[in-house]
Amino acid sequence: MANLSVELCGVNLKNPVIGASGTVGFGREFDEIYDISVLGGISTKGLTLEPRLGNPVPRIAESRGVILNAVGLQNPGVDSFIEKDLGWLKSKNVAIIANVAGRTLEDYAQICAKLDGLVDMIELNISCPNVRAGGMALGIKPENVFEVSKITKAQLKKTPLMVKLSPNVESIATNARAAQEGGADCISLINTLTGMAIDIERRKPIIANNTGGVSGAGVKPIAVRMVYEAAHAVSIPVVGMGGITCAEDALEFIMAGATAVQVGTANFTDTMAMPKIIQGLNAWCDKHGVKNLAELRDTLILN
Amino acid sequence: MKEVLATVLENKRIAENIQSLTFSTGEVIPVRAGQFLNISTGNGVHLLRRPIAVCKAEGENITICFQLKGEGTHQLALVPAGAKLSVLLPLGNGFFVKESEQKVALVAGGVGIFPIISVIWEYAPKGKQIHSYIGFRNRSAICCLDELEKSTALTVTTDDGSYGLHMNAVQAFVADMDRGNVPDVVLSCGPTPMLRALQAAMQQRDIPCYVSLEERMGCGIGACLVCVCNQTNGTHARVCKDGPVFNAKDVQL
Ligand SMILES: Cc1cc2nc3c(=O)[nH]c(=O)nc-3n(C[C@H](O)[C@H](O)[C@H](O)COP(=O)(O)OP(=O)(O)OC[C@H]3O[C@@H](n4cnc5c(N)ncnc54)[C@H](O)[C@@H]3O)c2cc1C
Ligand SMILES: Cc1cc2nc3c(=O)[nH]c(=O)nc-3n(C[C@H](O)[C@H](O)[C@H](O)COP(=O)(O)O)c2cc1C
Ligand code: FES
Repeated sequence: MANLSVELCGVNLKNPVIGASGTVGFGREFDEIYDISVLGGISTKGLTLEPRLGNPVPRIAESRGVILNAVGLQNPGVDSFIEKDLGWLKSKNVAIIANVAGRTLEDYAQICAKLDGLVDMIELNISCPNVRAGGMALGIKPENVFEVSKITKAQLKKTPLMVKLSPNVESIATNARAAQEGGADCISLINTLTGMAIDIERRKPIIANNTGGVSGAGVKPIAVRMVYEAAHAVSIPVVGMGGITCAEDALEFIMAGATAVQVGTANFTDTMAMPKIIQGLNAWCDKHGVKNLAELRDTLILN
Repeated sequence: MKEVLATVLENKRIAENIQSLTFSTGEVIPVRAGQFLNISTGNGVHLLRRPIAVCKAEGENITICFQLKGEGTHQLALVPAGAKLSVLLPLGNGFFVKESEQKVALVAGGVGIFPIISVIWEYAPKGKQIHSYIGFRNRSAICCLDELEKSTALTVTTDDGSYGLHMNAVQAFVADMDRGNVPDVVLSCGPTPMLRALQAAMQQRDIPCYVSLEERMGCGIGACLVCVCNQTNGTHARVCKDGPVFNAKDVQL
């Protein structure tokens, strides 16, 4: 039995596997299938100030090796989460990461103020359209990444701030540095890549929103490269994700510099994906004589 | 709800473009009429599992029937006996017939007949009077007649009149109701235009009517909010978890 625990901005995770935002809800449904307290953490569905109904359906499509989604942030709102779900989630003994999203910078600040001290970490989703960026995502331009990190960090007296980077950018290293300079305690990446899938009989995009976020196994090499670049551009910890389906995938991210990982789409392919990844990490460490998984972080040897 | 690695026992064509697949889960998993499962296509390039109704559950063996539509169902039709497939089941709420409801009308069309067969399977032995109105595209699409004939009364229709009555299932059902054959409850599954016609036909009548909906899915268990439908009260419901069966009065089709 290897020691899988990792420390992330002062938060102790029993293992580095975190359920990725939007794929595990608030954890309740997966808990009907396995006890989610085996997980290192849960990142919640993106929370907004007011409840949101999200996009019309279809909200999902498939392409070989990947999926596309455009849920449009359907969620009950941050107040409802605090009132109805947080207590239950706390009883599960997993690190609780509240994923938050807003239409304006003020939205982000207000949500963070509400959640400060209540959750283990805040994860900013800056990949959604924002008024400040003229309807574009805040996560694209480094100056916007800096600004949203700064304004939210100012609200967080007790809870560490994780800024989730969008991969649809010019330089992931520049944006990673912008988050750090704005005050992020750590960063996570990658959010989904923007894509499109077409039904040629109808000559229409499959997803009602036309475009959707691409995720799943096929995006992994892009994600690993970005995690590597981001991790070597900043001094704060990095949480890696994008296409992780098994322990070996998770280890690629850890060796590239990630302290912990998130698993999203794989939960749809196999509901037990995360417990299996945790078991697999343990088996790999035992087989390779690794006592502490944390020792593997950033051990990549470049050619 | 359980995640299992099922063993394929039989995979055969039963009508034009319709496949019947039986697998063993290795344990008895109770499934109610109208519930569904998520099944892998057998090819790792498909990251999403396909939602398919449970047609029959006998001991450890489950049978599903599906239409060959896109890449995934064509792939699934090729899976040989002995192969392993990951399956998540049972999912959704299913159809319920109350003690007080004796006479049950089943209205189905297209692939909607498969969950409806599970209702006949569960409720015919319980002594319910089952009147089935089943629509097919044409004669070559007809399948599962032996299962459908376990109904108390069966009316088959085809869109082109090549078999049975030349009309659709809703028209056959409404005509029968107009003749005085009024059920205590109506259960239905089929293409959205069919469900819409049924919903409209039932609007003025005081007979409970339940419809089973289809939507593209991610997780299948209620976590990802991908599969929502619009409810008449302005909120969204999850087809996979709150459905797939809804009171026809509660949903906008
Ligand atoms: C609760 C439920 C029960 C169902 N029961 C049956 C059944 O018993 N027999 C049967 O033949 N069909 C059934 N369907 C429809 C079946 O899920 C689709 O025909 C199938 O997923 C198509 O997959 P594909 O790979 O051939 O198509 P593709 O177009 O290649 O699939 C791409 C993606 O879209 C999804 N998708 C495409 N069409 C549908 C659809 N109509 N509904 C939901 N997802 C879709 C697929 O699951 C996949 O994720 C059911 C659907 C639901 C929601
Ligand atoms: C259905 C779905 C919903 C998602 N919702 C959110 C969200 O609300 N907030 C967010 O930051 N990321 C969201 N994501 C992105 C994931 O958290 C993750 O960054 C991405 O899917 C890449 O990881 P994966 O390849 O393991 O899925 C969503 C992804 C999916 C598939
Ligand atoms: S498919 Fe995930 S909520 Fe229904």
